[in-house]
Amino acid sequence: MAAYRKLETKSTQLLEKIRENLEQLNEKIDVMIEIQKHGHHELPENLPEALDVMTLLSLPDHLRKTAVALCKLDHATADEVAKQTKRARAVESGYLNQLVIMGYMKKERRGRKAYFFVDKEG
Amino acid sequence: MGKIIAVHSYKGGTGKTSLSVNLAATYARKGKKVCLMDLDFRAPSLHAIFKKQNLDYWLNDYLNGICEIDKVLVDVTNDHGNGGKLLVALANPSTEAIRDMTAKDRKWEMKALGRLLSLRSSILNDLGLDYLILDTSPGLQYSSINAIVTADVVLVVTSLDASDINGSQRMTSELYDLFEKKTGILINKVIADYLSSEAEQKKFNKYIKSLHSLPVLATIPCFCEVLRAAGDFIFTEERPEHPFTETLEELAAKVEKF
Repeated sequence: MAAYRKLETKSTQLLEKIRENLEQLNEKIDVMIEIQKHGHHELPENLPEALDVMTLLSLPDHLRKTAVALCKLDHATADEVAKQTKRARAVESGYLNQLVIMGYMKKERRGRKAYFFVDKEG
Repeated sequence: MGKIIAVHSYKGGTGKTSLSVNLAATYARKGKKVCLMDLDFRAPSLHAIFKKQNLDYWLNDYLNGICEIDKVLVDVTNDHGNGGKLLVALANPSTEAIRDMTAKDRKWEMKALGRLLSLRSSILNDLGLDYLILDTSPGLQYSSINAIVTADVVLVVTSLDASDINGSQRMTSELYDLFEKKTGILINKVIADYLSSEAEQKKFNKYIKSLHSLPVLATIPCFCEVLRAAGDFIFTEERPEHPFTETLEELAAKVEKF
């Protein structure tokens, strides 16, 4: 019985790990799709200084909506941004990751969740 | 849930401050709890209207991260509450402060946007106010765009001056629309002849509709009495029976439902 329980715990842990990896993979695919969709031409040559309002104005419409929502939320997951913009989570995840690549935002992991934020001090 | 209103214009001298102050006073008279902020750091005005000169903290200090917003708020309910509540946050009028505010970099402006956005929680939610009115500086400047991003509703004050109309049209497509803001136009200082009869008014409204794609929330005639007040007192407070006050009341009701 004890051996069975041990095996059960081990397989649950393994499944959990697989799920985490799949989620991370999913996010990476989102980013790749976004870059493919909009191309590299939107990526600045030098990393931007700040996500100020003039920069917000210069962003393409789809990214501006995401960036403004994150400015309002301060620190948020793709899910929380999606609730504010009323767009799909996968769409927001792609846009947020693209903004991270462009250097306007940062991303950090807390447990299984990925949080996006504007780095005001860095 | 309270509302943040930004009062903006393309050009200076359109009457933004006068309309912001009178709109705030109108809401207070209706029993609402209101906070009025002077975001025109290049040419502060509200300190003169509310006759406050030597304050410990100004709105500049809040945006600079020196203090929290409660230190900046001045309660003028005793003099201007009129049944409601009126708080003001004033911009520092000293030359040194104006110079300091004009020399800010992009990073500072980004932090200032964050500080302005957090007013929703500190002013509307924590203090339970009904309205936060942001009197902005004219044109495309950091402080005014920060206010527009923060606001729920943008009121664009314009005169009938050709360059003002043209500028407001451009800002509609290049600023307000881009931030998906609920925006309404206030036509200020309209010559009385244009509104002298029903037929004239109809003709005028048709002309205005051809100019602006945004809804026109108020057409405010040019009253010599308002000009004569010269910002020395709050007109709607002193002259509750005047047509200007009536127009402001109609505007307040429209913005409430907007």
